[in-house]
Amino acid sequence: MRIRASIAAVVIAPLAAVVGTVVMGGAQDKTLSIGVLGPLSGGAASYGVELVRGAEMKADEINKAGGLKVGADTYRIKLVSYDHKALAADAATAANKLVFQDKVKYIIGNAVGATCNAVQTVTEPEKVLFSFVCWGTNNLGPDKPHSFRVMLSQWEVAEPFYRWVKEKHPQIKRVAAISPNDTSGKDTNTAVVKALKALGFEVAADEYYERGTKDFYPILTKILAAKPDMLDVAAAPAGEGGLILKQARELGFKGAKGWTAGTNPFTIIGVAGKDAAEGVWSPANINVRSDFVSATVRRFGAEYEKRYNEVPGVIAVANYAAFDVITKAMQEARSLDTDKVLAALTQKPFETVWGRLVIGGKETYGIDRQFLYPVVISEVRDGKVVDIAQVLPTALKK
Amino acid sequence: MSIDLLVQALLNGFGLAMVYVLVALGLTLIFSILEIINFAHGEFYMLGGYVTYYVFAVFGVNYFATLGFAILAVGLAGVVAERLIFRYLRGKTLNAFIVSLGLLWVMQASAQLSFGVLDKPVPSAFSGIVRAFGLVISVERLVVSLSAIVLIAALYLFLRWSRPGRAMRAVAQDADAAALQGVDIELVSALGFGIGCALAGGAGGLLAPVFAVSPAMGALPVVKAFIIIIIGGMGSLPGAVVGGLLLGSVEGLGSLFMGSAAVNVLGFLVVILVLLVRPRGLFGGA
Repeated sequence: MRIRASIAAVVIAPLAAVVGTVVMGGAQDKTLSIGVLGPLSGGAASYGVELVRGAEMKADEINKAGGLKVGADTYRIKLVSYDHKALAADAATAANKLVFQDKVKYIIGNAVGATCNAVQTVTEPEKVLFSFVCWGTNNLGPDKPHSFRVMLSQWEVAEPFYRWVKEKHPQIKRVAAISPNDTSGKDTNTAVVKALKALGFEVAADEYYERGTKDFYPILTKILAAKPDMLDVAAAPAGEGGLILKQARELGFKGAKGWTAGTNPFTIIGVAGKDAAEGVWSPANINVRSDFVSATVRRFGAEYEKRYNEVPGVIAVANYAAFDVITKAMQEARSLDTDKVLAALTQKPFETVWGRLVIGGKETYGIDRQFLYPVVISEVRDGKVVDIAQVLPTALKK
Repeated sequence: MSIDLLVQALLNGFGLAMVYVLVALGLTLIFSILEIINFAHGEFYMLGGYVTYYVFAVFGVNYFATLGFAILAVGLAGVVAERLIFRYLRGKTLNAFIVSLGLLWVMQASAQLSFGVLDKPVPSAFSGIVRAFGLVISVERLVVSLSAIVLIAALYLFLRWSRPGRAMRAVAQDADAAALQGVDIELVSALGFGIGCALAGGAGGLLAPVFAVSPAMGALPVVKAFIIIIIGGMGSLPGAVVGGLLLGSVEGLGSLFMGSAAVNVLGFLVVILVLLVRPRGLFGGA
């Protein structure tokens, strides 16, 4: 069953838009419907909620400023969002609904690798421009020219993160990685294991659990028997990653802790508790209160917190930036045609909340469709998130 | 593989088995009295979790007082559900199946709208771990398991010795005969449904600090509960306890040798085996 998410001012209007662009009269009355997908319920709901909120904040900014001016026309942005519960089948259904019923030509936001693959079976043949934060390896490629990843993935993060671990914590020799048993999890553990081996670490465990698992004692007993120096809750979402850390501590684990896909350490502190989350390193995070980030990000963070009473994680910032970049590309292209927007998008860098945004990734994916920006490593200290280092993904170094 | 590891795996499996037995007992009690399978049973478990979140985590009330309140509140919600919906479906298994599925979605969607979709962490009521003979268990899980055992024992004593408990057993055996003996079927039906839901609420309250609460939290325990009662036999209290322990040990040991997806299948394999050998479950009546 699909549940239409009604979060804050996100507008869900299943019958409203006959076409993505609906001409209803004057210049100010044109509407551009943009789709947002994500898990809005279940263990990975934090991802979807942040995606929607990031999009919502940018859409509201545009609408309050009088709309999006593209060529001679001005459009009001309308968001249409659906919950796919991190299930590929539900994601395909939602994508069909967005493309064929709601007639959207842009889907800005989706998370969880397997769902992205499902959505792409609909978006690529229809030339729908699709941006996401999914971590699947095969979500980007020359055969998927309309797809972009707007957040660093495991392939950009794992190597610089573990290079930093090796340099700063040489006593760590054996690392155990645990992820959900799906595309995102497998790809993340693969990237982590590859980085570990390349850097000379021992892989103590490479384990998977089913999404929705609550009791991690059985799998942790097996992992901790391998005596790892560090436990990486690699691709686990905050709810499940927090439980893993809490239960690992209950079982006596006192080693180092990492969260390669740690998109929002504030949330994992809430679930794991202050003590169990102490010392967790997150390289995929953004701390909107940190000195490492730009004034624009800090301002975004403050507004987000005021509006939603929560601290945004990297997914909210990434989708806000994606929305910003894609709408700017529409203006550059002076058209809503996705091929023209695609051309504008890949022609030159854009100034965003990340600073000057580089779209690269050809070395890894065979096509430049990966947003690139510096990796900031944060650590949980006494219940607070503290940024401690900044490292560059290999592709960005080049 | 060391003996310590095997015993630890068994301990892990047993650790929460008694809580799932509580959920299973609620299901089987309702089935015995009303002859319906309540697919929304997990949502009453979820309600118990949220009551615990608000009373214990938000308002800071003592944990055991909160647990008692959760049991009462969810039990009352069960009585209301029985009076408004399930009393009309007594004995109509198929109709009740559809209606309870609908109730499941209504309760889950209502929880999403009311409480939000994100997990709400409940602070641990008990901290620390117990180490003995190379084994480790958290104090929290120990307390949770013991509390579940106390609740199971209380249910047993209630059903065995109290007047309403005996009336429930009479209705479960033969409702018409019980009515002829002066048992108030309406009252027993409401009470049975309420107690069944209260057990689920108690389980939700017990596991809220262990796992955090969320609108979909009822799905997993209710699946385990179904496995337990099919293994143990519908309507059998000792069967549910044995079924819970069997499931816990199979899953605990299985996790040492296979991946989590395969472990989840193990429970169903046990169900198939039991059904092949004893179609009414290990302790099911003829």
